[in-house]
Amino acid sequence: MSQHKVIFSPVTRVSGLLSVELTVDNTYICEADVCCSMFRGYEYIMRNRHVADAVYLTQRICGICSTAHGAIASYLLDQLYDNDIEENAQYIRNIMLAADFLQNHIRHFYFFELPDYVIMPEQPPFLRQNCVDCRFDEEENRRLASNYIRAVKASEQSHQILALFGGKAPHQHSFLHGGVAVAPTTDKILQALALLKDIRDFAERYMMADTNLIANRYNDYFQIGKTAGRFLSFGLFKFGEKNDKSLLKKGVLENNTLTEPRLDLIQEDIAHAWFQRKKRLAETEPAPHKPGAYTWTKAVLYQGNHFEGGPLARMKINGHYTGGTSTMDRIIARSIETLLLTELMEEWLNKLAPGLPPIKQKSQLLSNQAIAVMDAMRGPLLHSALITNEEVTMYDIITPTGWNFSPKDEYRNRGPVEMALVGTHLPTPDFKYVIPGRIIRSFDPCISCATH
Amino acid sequence: MKYNDFLKLCEQYKLEKDYSLSAKLIPCVHKFLDQSNKRKLPVIWLETSDSGDNNIAFMNTTYPYLQQVFTDMIDLLYSNTFMAAQGTDALDLLFESAEEFQGAFVLIVEGAIPTKDRGIYNVIARTNNGNITALDAVTNLGILAQHVVAVGTCASFGGASSAAPNTTGSVGVGSVLKQEIINVSGCPVNPDWLVGTLAHLLMYGKPELDNLGRPKLFYGNTVHRHCQRRSYFDNNDLAKKLGDVECMFSQGCVGPRTGADCPYRQWIDHVSWPVKVNTPCIGCTNQDFPDASAPFFKPFPEKSNSQQSSSQKPSANDKGEIKS
Repeated sequence: MSQHKVIFSPVTRVSGLLSVELTVDNTYICEADVCCSMFRGYEYIMRNRHVADAVYLTQRICGICSTAHGAIASYLLDQLYDNDIEENAQYIRNIMLAADFLQNHIRHFYFFELPDYVIMPEQPPFLRQNCVDCRFDEEENRRLASNYIRAVKASEQSHQILALFGGKAPHQHSFLHGGVAVAPTTDKILQALALLKDIRDFAERYMMADTNLIANRYNDYFQIGKTAGRFLSFGLFKFGEKNDKSLLKKGVLENNTLTEPRLDLIQEDIAHAWFQRKKRLAETEPAPHKPGAYTWTKAVLYQGNHFEGGPLARMKINGHYTGGTSTMDRIIARSIETLLLTELMEEWLNKLAPGLPPIKQKSQLLSNQAIAVMDAMRGPLLHSALITNEEVTMYDIITPTGWNFSPKDEYRNRGPVEMALVGTHLPTPDFKYVIPGRIIRSFDPCISCATH
Repeated sequence: MKYNDFLKLCEQYKLEKDYSLSAKLIPCVHKFLDQSNKRKLPVIWLETSDSGDNNIAFMNTTYPYLQQVFTDMIDLLYSNTFMAAQGTDALDLLFESAEEFQGAFVLIVEGAIPTKDRGIYNVIARTNNGNITALDAVTNLGILAQHVVAVGTCASFGGASSAAPNTTGSVGVGSVLKQEIINVSGCPVNPDWLVGTLAHLLMYGKPELDNLGRPKLFYGNTVHRHCQRRSYFDNNDLAKKLGDVECMFSQGCVGPRTGADCPYRQWIDHVSWPVKVNTPCIGCTNQDFPDASAPFFKPFPEKSNSQQSSSQKPSANDKGEIKS
C-alpha cells in the first residue's frame, strides 16, 4: 500500500471541534495536520469593552477551564490597578482554581480517555466503540467502567467546592480583581473540606489505581506519541500581595536544562492558520479561504521552537515526575497532579481564616497595558491587554492548546501533537483512529480555548 | 390499569386468605411502566459555537446524576463529548440515528450558528465529500427532529458567540430553523433547567413556553422577584462595593430584567448563586446577553445600550414579573 490520507473527523471526547488529517505511508503516519474547526473571535469581542468585564467575558472562552481565564484576567487587572491582595484572598483564589483543575482532570481521565482503553457497556453514549485493542478482562472492564460512575460524583463535587466560593460553575463570579468577593465562613470551609475528603479518597483509591492499571497493561504507550521534549510552564497558584510568588514554579525545560521563561521570546505564527495580517497594522483578521491554511489555531513559538505544556511539563519542572515524553507519561502526570492538588487544597482550606470578603479593588489605573501569565489545566495561558482609560483597545489571548495543537510554522516545523503523531505505526486499518485517538487525547485538547 | 380497577383490586384482596396483593400488583406495575415509558428519549446533541460550558453544566446534574440520566431518561445517540465512537464511526451513528428515529428524536444544539461565509466558521466534521458546517447539520437535522432544544444562551439567542462585533455572523438556532425551538438559555444552562426540560418532554410532552420560547417553569419569574436581597432593594439599601451584603443593583445587577430561578434553585447541587457570593447577576439567560449587560459592574444607567433596554430603575412595588 502506498501513501494515503485518513481524515480523522470528528475526534470525539474532547472539548470543542477537532479533526486531524493523517498521511499514511504503508503503515506509518508520515504527516499530520491538526484542524481546529471552530472560531468565535474573542480578541475582537473584548475590544471597546470595560476592561473589568474581561474576568467574566473571557471565562466564556472555555467551559471546562473557565476559572483559569477568569483568574488570568483578574491578575491582569490587579496589575493595571496595582491592587494589593490579602493572603486569605490568595487561598480562596487557589482553592477555587484547584477545584476546577480537579474537575477537569477527573472528567478528562474518565469521560474522555477511559473509553480509549476500557470496553464500555454497549448502550448509548458508548455505541460502536472500536474494541480492536481493548486489553482488560471482563472483571477489570466492569470495575473500570463502574469507576466512570464514581467519577461523575467526584467531578461534580469538585465543581461544588468551586460554586461554594464562586457562586456557580462553570463561569464563577467571586474571583475578581482586588481579591475575592465571597466571605470565607466556617460553614463553607467545613463543607469544602468534607467534599474534598471524598474527592481525595476517589483520587487515591480509584484514579491512581486505574492509571497504574492502564499504564501497566498498555506499557507500549511509553514509546508511542513522543514529542521533542521541549516543555514550558508559566507556574501555578500565585501568592503574595502582588501575585508575585508561584507555588509550582515556572520554567522552560529543554535538553534537561531549566531556564526562566521570557515573554519577549514568545511569537505567534499564522503561516498555516486561517488568518491574514491587516495592511499597515500589526493585527490579524480571519481568512477562512486562505490557501495552505488548515486550522483556526495560530502556531505559538518560544525562541522559534514549538513547546509542549500541561501536567507533564509542570510535574517535570517541579520534580514530581521524571518519566519520558510519551502518551502514557502525559496521562500519569495528570493523575499525579490530581492527587497533589487534593493535598494542597486541604492545606489551604486549613490555613484559610474565617472572616469578611477579602477584596479591595482600587479605582485608579496604574498603567494602560499589562500581560498576565499562569498555567491553566492544559499548560501556559497568557492574556495581554492594551487599554485607553478603562476601555480595551487590544486584547490578546494565547492558550495552552494553542501551544500543543500548533499547526506548522512558516518553516513547516510541526507542533507538539503533530510531532507526536508522525512516525506512529498503524498495524492495520482498524487502528487508524484507535492509536491516533489515544495520542491526541493524552494532550487533553480544548479546541474552544485554542481558537477562542 | 385504571384507577378504579386498582381500588377494586385492593378491596378484593383484603378478603383473600393469603393476602398476596403485591404478587398481583407487581406484574400490573411492570405492564404500566412498559406501556407508559415506551422507551427513553432518543437524543442527538450537536456542539456548535460555544465554549462547551453547557456540556460541563450537564455533567454537574444531581438527582438524577449524569449516569442516571443516561440509564433512565435519554439515549444519547450522538455527542461529540461523551460518545465512545470516533471518526466516521461517530458520523455513521449520527446519520443512522437521525434516520431511525426520524420524527421522534430530540435535537439538542449547544452553541450559536455562524452564518457568514456559508457557516465556514464552525465545521462539526470533515468528510471526503467536504465539510459539514454547524449550519448544514442543524438545518438538515432540525427538520427530522421531533423537538429542537437550544441549550445555553449562544444556541438560544446567539449569546457571547455573537457578541459585538460578531465577526462570524453567529445567530441562535431559532434564526436558522423555521420550526418552534425550545430555548433553555443560560451561560451556562443550569443542569436542572435542561434535565427538567428533557424530563418534561419525556413525561408530559412539550412544556409551556414564554414569549422567548423558554419553559415558563424555569424562566417565568425574574431573579429580582425572588432575590434574597429584595428587602435591601426595597429599602434603597444598596451595596457600596462588591463583597457587601446589601443589594447588588448599584454594582451592575440586572436581576430585575432577567428571567431565571437562580435565587431559589441555585447552582451545583443547589449550593450557591452569584448574588449569594456578593456579586451582581449579569443576566446570562437574556436574549441580549452579554452586550446589554455590559459593563457588567456598572449600574443600569451606565450600561452600554441602556437607551434601548428598559433602563429605568424598577420601582419598589414592581413585582419583577416578566412582561410578555
